[in-house]
Amino acid sequence: MTELTLGRGTPDRARLLRLLQDYGVYTGVLVLLLFNFAFTPHFVSAENFRTQAVQVAPVLIVALGMALAIGTEGVDLSVGSVMALATSLLSLYLGYGPWTAALVAVLAGAVVGVANGALIAFVGVQPIVATLALMVAGRGLALVLLPQLKDVHDPDLAALGSGAVLGVPYLALIAALLAVLTAFVVRRTTFGRQALAIGDSRPAARLAGLPVRRVLVLVYVCSGALAAIAGVLATARLAASDPTSLGSLMELSAITAVVVGGTPLSGGRVRVGGTVAGATLIQLLTTTLIKHDLPPSWTQIAQAVVIVLAVYAARERGRR
Amino acid sequence: MKPTALVRRTTARTLLAAGLMSSLALATGCTKSEDDSGSKPSASKQDDAGQVVASPGTASGPTCTIDAYGGQKTDLRTATVGFSQSEKEANPFRIAETASIRAEAKAEGVKLLTANAQSQFSKQISDVQDLIAKGADLLVIAPLNSDGWEPVLRTAAARHIPIVTIDRKINATACKDYVSFIGSDFVEQGKRAADRMIEATGGKGEVAVLLGAAGNNVTTERTKGFEDRIKEKAPGLRIVFRQTGEFAREKGQSVTENLIQSKPGITGIYAENDEMGLGAVNALKGAGKKPGDVKIVTIDGTRNAVQGIVDGWISAVIESNPRFGPLAFRTLDTFTKGEKVGQDIVIKDSAYDKGNAQTDLGKAY
Repeated sequence: MTELTLGRGTPDRARLLRLLQDYGVYTGVLVLLLFNFAFTPHFVSAENFRTQAVQVAPVLIVALGMALAIGTEGVDLSVGSVMALATSLLSLYLGYGPWTAALVAVLAGAVVGVANGALIAFVGVQPIVATLALMVAGRGLALVLLPQLKDVHDPDLAALGSGAVLGVPYLALIAALLAVLTAFVVRRTTFGRQALAIGDSRPAARLAGLPVRRVLVLVYVCSGALAAIAGVLATARLAASDPTSLGSLMELSAITAVVVGGTPLSGGRVRVGGTVAGATLIQLLTTTLIKHDLPPSWTQIAQAVVIVLAVYAARERGRR
Repeated sequence: MKPTALVRRTTARTLLAAGLMSSLALATGCTKSEDDSGSKPSASKQDDAGQVVASPGTASGPTCTIDAYGGQKTDLRTATVGFSQSEKEANPFRIAETASIRAEAKAEGVKLLTANAQSQFSKQISDVQDLIAKGADLLVIAPLNSDGWEPVLRTAAARHIPIVTIDRKINATACKDYVSFIGSDFVEQGKRAADRMIEATGGKGEVAVLLGAAGNNVTTERTKGFEDRIKEKAPGLRIVFRQTGEFAREKGQSVTENLIQSKPGITGIYAENDEMGLGAVNALKGAGKKPGDVKIVTIDGTRNAVQGIVDGWISAVIESNPRFGPLAFRTLDTFTKGEKVGQDIVIKDSAYDKGNAQTDLGKAY
């Protein structure tokens, strides 16, 4: 069910394939790093690694929530809109202080999660349809609340966006903390186990007496709240609230990170470490192409190749 | 242990009710943003930079008269003008454009009907048809797309309604399907940006280009103008980096962060709109650079970018003028009186630099 159950004692070829499936994404990250060490000027510097960590943080945080949703055999398309909603609310409530405003923004993300979860668990709408509805509604609401880009001058938020402790940016620290927390929840808590059981087989989970609906709602609340946190952090980094473009296509980046990281779309399994590596892989890929000044269309093609490879590696897992 | 179905339903209702209540609470007026004092001047209070025609409307180029177009002479003051806006008024350009049309209609005492297509082309087509049905005698259209206007043009032609398009062109015959197009020359904007870049860098060094969204004529024309002029006038200035920032601040920032790490010796950055330029400023600040270390030239002329010049981060901003109101109404007035108007009218874009940024900050939109 989780990555703890590694296949042992299987024939060599199957074992190799298994290893590729489980560690392919890490190999990818390593290969890209080595390539950049060798061929990209000024790549090996603390400043560069800080930049990469800061740039990947919002995508990673959103991807953690997405991994939970995908683990229950669902998907959350509303994450990008939740980021936009969070940035709007953050700007509107900043007068009460940055922490209150951030709290309101995260609360709003959780509310969107409740709506998503309620539609999926109680009304029985397909996750892709339910979250699509909230994706459209969320962006609309964000733009009604804050029709255009607004600068954020709050010093505390600016410090959050660009500050660092012992050389590690706050954004990277928060993302790492949330990743560890998510890994703990998935592996060690009843809630995590129940979510994965539901992803494996919802009817079986129901027959086994699991609180299916409550767990599903909670999963989407987590996803919404994480997306809202990502929205707050992205706003702090940009020093502006931009609901028109913040988080656009974020749902696709997050799904890519999760899938490349080896979490199957069929549910029942969440690889948090793989998701972190998946997000890092996509970030490094984009960075490599930008640093070598290759045309932007190449980035999209390269991403497509990585996704196809990841799906190819995962195809054995799909056949259960 | 197992909750009954009834209990589950109740939980569901409570959850839903709680969700709804909190969203309502959020939406109601207990918001308090950072600067509620209202320091931001509204569009109507702006100094209207007015408009000067760059290419004289009637002196050169093909022209159009009401006799050639069909229809009767009318007085603009008694007519009803319909205005169809293409995109949501969510960015400074669109806000200033609509405000300019409204302000001019008010100043001229013309009855104005407006519609906004919210970036949906089918909505814009029905918007314009609605405007005609509501009795618009003259139309000002900011088209979302260039193609697909046949149904509207047919209706308008049947009633001899003069059409002026602003900021984007439609693919149709001037003086037959529509009267004139009023807009900026994006290639020229790119060339002027190149001139400013040469001036700021002394014509030597390495320049990066933050491109706009791919497949957009604004991007291709602003790039072409810039590159041609650099090649022609400053062979010592090399363009070493071209990446898209998709006209967004966030993307401009992350691309620039990568740029300044891989090419620390970069001399200048040409951003094809203000937002990406402001993203570049953020990135430079984050990398510990000082104002003026890297010369930035941008296009658009929004207030934030002009403020950037005052603060020393941006070297020059080429304006892309959104204030089409005075020119559009003057064109319609001249045309309905029976006089000649130009088919392609180029609006004058001003520019901001160290010399005028402080004094002209009020003109920026």
